[in-house]
Amino acid sequence: MSTSVQNAGSGTAAAPGKPVGELIFALIIVSIGVLGFVAGAGIQTPPSASDIGPRAFPFAVSGLLLVVGAGLVFQVLRGHRGAADEGEDVDLDAKTDWLTVGKLAGFVLLHAFLIVPLGWPLAAAILFFGAAWSLGARPWWRNLVTAVVLALVLQFVFAGLLGVSLPPGFLEGFGVFGG
Amino acid sequence: MCSVDNFLLLMEGFATAMQPMYLLFALGGVLVGTAVGVLPGIGPAMTVALLMPITYSLEPTAAIIVFAGIYYGGMYGGSTTSILLNTPGESSSIVTALEGNKMAKAGRGAAALATAAVGSFVAGTIATVLLSFVAPYVAAFAVQIGPVEYVALMIVAFLTVGALLGSSVLRGLASLGLGLFIALVGFDALTAQQRYTFGSPFLADGIDVVLVAVALFAVGEALYVASRLRHGPIKVIPVTGGWTSWLRKEDLRRSWKPWLRGTMIGFPVGTIPAGGADVATFLSYASERKLAKGEHKKQFGKGAIEGVAGPEAANNAAAAGVLVPLLTLGIPTTATAAMMLVAFQRYQIPVGPQLFESNSTLVWALIASLYVGNLMLLVLNLPLVGIWVKILQIPRPYLYAGILVFAVLGAFSVNFTPIDVIILLIVGILGFFMRRYGYPIAPMVVGLILGPIFESQLRRSLAISQGDPVALVQSPVAATIYVVLIIIFALSLLLKRRQRQFEAMVAANADASDVVRGTATVSGSDAAVATTATPADPPNREDTGR
Repeated sequence: MSTSVQNAGSGTAAAPGKPVGELIFALIIVSIGVLGFVAGAGIQTPPSASDIGPRAFPFAVSGLLLVVGAGLVFQVLRGHRGAADEGEDVDLDAKTDWLTVGKLAGFVLLHAFLIVPLGWPLAAAILFFGAAWSLGARPWWRNLVTAVVLALVLQFVFAGLLGVSLPPGFLEGFGVFGG
Repeated sequence: MCSVDNFLLLMEGFATAMQPMYLLFALGGVLVGTAVGVLPGIGPAMTVALLMPITYSLEPTAAIIVFAGIYYGGMYGGSTTSILLNTPGESSSIVTALEGNKMAKAGRGAAALATAAVGSFVAGTIATVLLSFVAPYVAAFAVQIGPVEYVALMIVAFLTVGALLGSSVLRGLASLGLGLFIALVGFDALTAQQRYTFGSPFLADGIDVVLVAVALFAVGEALYVASRLRHGPIKVIPVTGGWTSWLRKEDLRRSWKPWLRGTMIGFPVGTIPAGGADVATFLSYASERKLAKGEHKKQFGKGAIEGVAGPEAANNAAAAGVLVPLLTLGIPTTATAAMMLVAFQRYQIPVGPQLFESNSTLVWALIASLYVGNLMLLVLNLPLVGIWVKILQIPRPYLYAGILVFAVLGAFSVNFTPIDVIILLIVGILGFFMRRYGYPIAPMVVGLILGPIFESQLRRSLAISQGDPVALVQSPVAATIYVVLIIIFALSLLLKRRQRQFEAMVAANADASDVVRGTATVSGSDAAVATTATPADPPNREDTGR
């Protein structure tokens, strides 16, 4: 868990690139607020309701998002940028490596589609192998061994010992891996 | 409720917590907690979220003891990282890094580790004693308050959490609003009306809290770190000598007062929703710096042991303090406390003022396990520090790949459907952009968890007053809560500002430029290290290599 530290001044030093993305993000917050009002108008209030009904609080939250989002748009336009999150492994001076982010997201998506046909351990091993490779771990065979061992250990601990029903896939029939 | 009763209940708690099985669970919790505290990119809140599946098979007491162990363990582990790792870390440990990292570079790493561990133990134990005696009284008071007062307490909790857990007030509030919004999706608990489900059956049941938390903490963090991964070797400052010789008489003499002062600062700050341990460590550091005299004062910024002892004690005392509002009011003020509240909800244990009465065995076993856990942590962190240093060196690709695997495990085991893994990814991408643009994550998680409770209390109060909002501030108790807490809020905001100025000042000071980054040039930081480093640590000087 990490919270960011504001640097001196507006924090522009830590913020990367042009503020286009940041502006879009603030605008998305505004639009969620708008969406909250539009979609919230469709919430039915039963006539029997004795209290303020199910619509009032959603409106309040949408109002909060709208006001805060607008404030943020204003701030970003005036050049007050957010301070990007810091961390021991984060190099704030590095350029954003979108390719690696894309690869990781892709492997998580792939994993979601593999759990059912292949079973959890195999799908998890593929995710670990792919993610470690994307992040630059070499050689591939050590990644593979680590991935398989980790997947088997997790399947054994969580499905076998703790009774979490992870589909065992090809391990079906081995009692220690749950099922 | 008299204190003798409480003492007896605490003793019963010990009788439960000392059973071999629970001792084992506590040990497991503090081990995992220290490990994740040491590891960058993963913290106690994320770990509790990731381990939520254990609530399916463990009984409540065991699971809560594990989670409490993780919470305390994380506080110990963090100091090891900030003292020994030659890269800047998180803001809650940045104060320790200021002096601790300098001590380590000057070959005094062992003393820094020792004063942090012993200080954490002293503070953790005293704060747990305070928790045992303060909490029942707060709970006894809290059972008398009604929904109106609750609304007052929660509004203030929202405000402080949103405004203080981060560097920008607006961004914190936006994060809080996003959490509240996601919590609205699904059926309204009171009228069974669908809200923001857009006709989708997947959204009708709402979006699971654990799923969102895991996505924000784990996937968001992994994607964010991946986007800016620090390459090159991991530089850990070596520690020499046997651990028994670490804390010399002189060190002890300089440390014990900061330990106690840190405790006295940390516990109350943790209790009130003032931004958690972060503010406590800063306050302790600032006061130690002010109180130091002569030669010791000059050491500040170059490795003063008081600057490690005080903040580390404050950090752990604040952790115990946070449990007071959590256990007595059901109000979490940090992300980890929010995840512990989720664990209670999983077991359908109502968290709030009734907790001390309805589940007294569980609560007292939990408190007793904190004493035990603290003792275990002292042993784990002094003689066994070498193990944690090894963990610190785990290759980062494996660390973050492993975090992703744990995240999909946690997501899949919520409902056992792969769709949840896809939702995990989507919310994770949201978490990535939040980190990128400086939005704090913790307010969102707190909003997500407290939102539904807040709405039901709000509507209950308004149903009683027949829709008259003035009733929300008319009760004398509620009015008092608002006034008192607005003062606390204003003070905390002021403090936060002071802290920022202070950090900026430290950053501007070339001495610390390699701790607080982004403001000084690389050559400046290099020169600063060269002036403070002793010949004992040549391999760790080159910060520029990162």
